[in-house]
Amino acid sequence: MSTTTAMKTGRAAFGPRLRRGLVPYLFLAPFFLTFIAFWLGPIIASLVYSFTDWRGFASPRFIGLGNYTKLFADPRFWVALKNTLFYGLAYVTILNVSALALALCLDSAWLRFKNAVKVGFFLPVTISLVVAAVIFEMIFAKGVGLLNIVQKGLGLGEIDWLGDPRFAIWAIIILRVWRALGYYAVIYFAGLQGIPNDVKEAARLDGCSPWQVTRYVTLPLLKPVILFGVIMSTIWALELFDEPWVLTKGGPADSTLTIVIYLYQAGFQYVELGYAAAVSYVLTLMIVAIAIVQKLLSGREVA
Amino acid sequence: MSEPSRDDAPTPGLAAYLGTLLVLALLALVLTPVLWAVLSAFKSRADIFAGDVWPRRWSLENFDDLLAKTLYLRWMLNSLVVALASTALGLLFCSLGGYAFAKFDFPGKTVMFWIVIASVSIPAFTTVIPLFGWLARLGLLDTYIVLILPFAANAFGIFLMRQYAVAIPTELLDAGRIDGAGEFRLYWSVVLPLLRPALGTVGVLIFIASWNSYIWPLVMMRTDEMLTLPVGVATLKGDQLPEYGMLMAASVLSSVPIIIAFLIMQRQFIAGLTQGAVK
Repeated sequence: MSTTTAMKTGRAAFGPRLRRGLVPYLFLAPFFLTFIAFWLGPIIASLVYSFTDWRGFASPRFIGLGNYTKLFADPRFWVALKNTLFYGLAYVTILNVSALALALCLDSAWLRFKNAVKVGFFLPVTISLVVAAVIFEMIFAKGVGLLNIVQKGLGLGEIDWLGDPRFAIWAIIILRVWRALGYYAVIYFAGLQGIPNDVKEAARLDGCSPWQVTRYVTLPLLKPVILFGVIMSTIWALELFDEPWVLTKGGPADSTLTIVIYLYQAGFQYVELGYAAAVSYVLTLMIVAIAIVQKLLSGREVA
Repeated sequence: MSEPSRDDAPTPGLAAYLGTLLVLALLALVLTPVLWAVLSAFKSRADIFAGDVWPRRWSLENFDDLLAKTLYLRWMLNSLVVALASTALGLLFCSLGGYAFAKFDFPGKTVMFWIVIASVSIPAFTTVIPLFGWLARLGLLDTYIVLILPFAANAFGIFLMRQYAVAIPTELLDAGRIDGAGEFRLYWSVVLPLLRPALGTVGVLIFIASWNSYIWPLVMMRTDEMLTLPVGVATLKGDQLPEYGMLMAASVLSSVPIIIAFLIMQRQFIAGLTQGAVK
């Protein structure tokens, strides 16, 4: 009897804890080994390679900041940076304003067919970026595209959306907003649903108009979610690659050249892997800086 | 979650209908490109260049061309194999790891978790360059395994799994241990069934990430037979005047299965994509 108790307490005290000591490492091993091989290792290696002249097969040679000075001296890199920032600013503004407006509609009392509207606007999110780009080829194409057909029907001149440096980036912006709108609307809608109704009710009883309730009660309470949406879409914007690569290959006249297209060309067309690694780290630093700003801001905002 | 006070709010009938009408008009505008792609897929070459809205004759020639002249079915198969394998493997990796993070105490836990979370904000293409060099040297380009493994180790997936696993009552696990269940058995027959909602969410997240990925297979796959759907469809665009009808047929065929799955599993899709689509 006493031995059994001793064994039981012994097992309770040591057995499971010992077993647990090893078990979690075993459970984490498949994830972590893969994660190290395909994410963590390459992320660190990329930084190291960015200080070398690595071209794939020959051993890399350390060249200090050579790649970085070459990068900042290349006017094409500045074009890519300027395009990416312009695109990002337009995309983030248009996207978040319209998504917020749509979310307010979804949250309102007057809208009918709410679920159908939500599902309908979310549908483009499920279409892959490349397929979406190909679909929009049929919208923007000169002559046969829907937009040109409509423009002709209205008696407006044709625009070569993808072939004219003034319009190509806007074609990309329209496509990206189209595809992301439902996604951000759903995020903002979830945020709105989280705002307690009695707060809004109290404002209403105090004589606020629906617009005033939205402006002075709902939107301030939604600020953390809006911050999240803006930061997230900014990071996405900086990583723009798929659509301009499929639609315009960065052209015409480099008007849709983005940082990631520049990186792709350096790495996989000219096979200057060390140089491309430096490009990727400049972009990584930009994104990490934004993520840190988000952390600082949201740390203060979230109650 | 009913909110009765909203119904009491004065909702002017006419304004409500006008507002609804406006939103529905916008929705129609958003759905137009999809509809246009479907219509164009069924148009003959002549109809497309005539610029008509409706096909004069509903034609299947674009689909015939697509299947006969391109490797479309092979790309579809590649994408399916890779996405399903990534999802299955990823669910196993993330649920095991998420459960370990949630319900065990061990040295290094905080650091490991912090590293995984921090990696989420590093852009994915940072990894492409060294991996391309390494995998080329190892002769692993052009293999399925290269398209599967990176998606199975989804940092957001393990994070979400941990969130759900934290809610599992520890007493339940201890009861199982006292009954003599081994740790893996406990995971398999107690933890995994309780993680079902998370499996749906993370499953969609991983599947879509793999299905949609472009730059990764674009870099890693070298022969036409090994391309995935997005890379293959993009090559159809070519450099000269594209075969618009065939491109639209390819787009429609590629999107329809996902759209149907989305309409059936709206909740998992919206949850999976909004909770974890940071990458």
